[in-house]
Amino acid sequence: MPYPILDPTGTTATATRGPQAPHAPRRRDLRGATVGLLVNTKQNAAPFLDEVGRLLVQRHGATGTMARTKVNFAAPAPDDLVKEMTTACDVIITGIGDCGSCSASAVADGIAFEAAGLPAAAICSDAFRVTADAMAELRGAPGYRYATTPHPVAVLGPDQVKQRAAQVLDDVMNLLTEPE
Amino acid sequence: MTPAPDPEQAQAAIEYCYAQGWSDGLPLVPASQPLVEKFLATTSRNPDEVIGEIEQVGRNCTVYLAAVNAAMAGCLPEYFPVVLAAFDALMRERAARGGGWQSTSGPAPMIVVNGPVRHELGFNTAGGAFGPGFRPNATVARAIGLIVRNAFGIRPHVLEQATQGLPGRWSICLAENEEESPWPPFAVDGGLPSDTSAVSATLLRTCEFVDNRHTPDPEHVLADVADTISRTGSLIFRDTSAGVVFCPEHAQMLADAGYTKADVQAWLMENCGRTGADLRRAGKNGLRGIARFADADTSADDAFTRILPSPRHVPIVVAGARNAAISMVVRIFGEWSGTAVEVTK
Repeated sequence: MPYPILDPTGTTATATRGPQAPHAPRRRDLRGATVGLLVNTKQNAAPFLDEVGRLLVQRHGATGTMARTKVNFAAPAPDDLVKEMTTACDVIITGIGDCGSCSASAVADGIAFEAAGLPAAAICSDAFRVTADAMAELRGAPGYRYATTPHPVAVLGPDQVKQRAAQVLDDVMNLLTEPE
Repeated sequence: MTPAPDPEQAQAAIEYCYAQGWSDGLPLVPASQPLVEKFLATTSRNPDEVIGEIEQVGRNCTVYLAAVNAAMAGCLPEYFPVVLAAFDALMRERAARGGGWQSTSGPAPMIVVNGPVRHELGFNTAGGAFGPGFRPNATVARAIGLIVRNAFGIRPHVLEQATQGLPGRWSICLAENEEESPWPPFAVDGGLPSDTSAVSATLLRTCEFVDNRHTPDPEHVLADVADTISRTGSLIFRDTSAGVVFCPEHAQMLADAGYTKADVQAWLMENCGRTGADLRRAGKNGLRGIARFADADTSADDAFTRILPSPRHVPIVVAGARNAAISMVVRIFGEWSGTAVEVTK
């Protein structure tokens, strides 16, 4: 064959966070920790993460929570927001990944906080595992672990959101800590 | 007589492209360096120029990659400036630069071509405007889809999470029927002079026809369009955006009755909407920020809520044949940038 068939995908990656994203060291427990809640504006994301934070304070000795909202759910958190939360918090919860772009970006945020040295737990609806995994791979963290809650989340009432938060709590603890 | 190409070699090349995962499901034209060079020769832009980037997936598209994908889509080289203009127009859309391609809504680009380039390249400007059947219309739209799939790496079931998608994704490229439109070309609404070869683009969530051919009263037609625009199913946020692709017959009827495009837009802005009771029945009467949700409050049941906040939220195009009074409501994902891009060599 005189000419090869050209590849339409290109090879230029512009990801800024580089390959083999670091994994932050785990804490033994959450006693005395400030829990950062990165809320992505999806329906029920705020009450869900608030309840996870409340339970981490009540049951696991975290000192308190600091919630911040990411205005553009489709994109990774802006650098200044990552910096602010990294300075003020000890561990991070991101979510709720409940759509095509926001599940992927919730995981991307988790990986960004890991790179900044903070253990992070992203929470996604279980309908978006494939896209969350694909984003982890793109961000140089193949196999990155995150927590899932059954789909759908947006239609849940306030009490159901609290139940879901309680159900995912052990997984969140397992992601954030490594008891000796 | 030139001998016909070897079909087995052609088949092998097509299967090779499938095996690489490059195809949207239909056969691709295998792109070679000499073919892609013909595409690149139609533009003065540098092949390495980055024409779009999706930050969260860490991928971008260059002029060169756009050319490879346009060639694979079945474009002729001379269509390439239109592909570039269409892509530039789409990249002006906030949704297309953000998470739109990954969205569960699975939006479809709608590309509108204006000016002399329509006839120079043989775009269909008449019947069957939404396709199929015409190479420039079909392949320019397909090229955009291949760029998203291949250059951006956003593929179905992986980074692309469309729940159902919609008919017409990667195939809607209208050439406006300027010859039978009573109004200025769409590109003029996008800020360019009349008779400019230009492309405008936005993202759609779906299209719905308005078949109204037995009334002499233009207000009947507008009321029918308004009823279609006002369906609760598409209302997610406080505001919505819905364009109208008028057939020449409807457009001429309205113009003969004295309606300018701005008059039609003003009429629709005034009359599109629902009562509070209608919205409450569909669980969309409350607002949290800009998102609609169910609220038990009945105090606004009698109030009429308007949904189109500005003329830019109800863009108007004229397309199709002058053979029946059938127009199309096109539901816009996000909102149109309000700008057109000139086709340049």
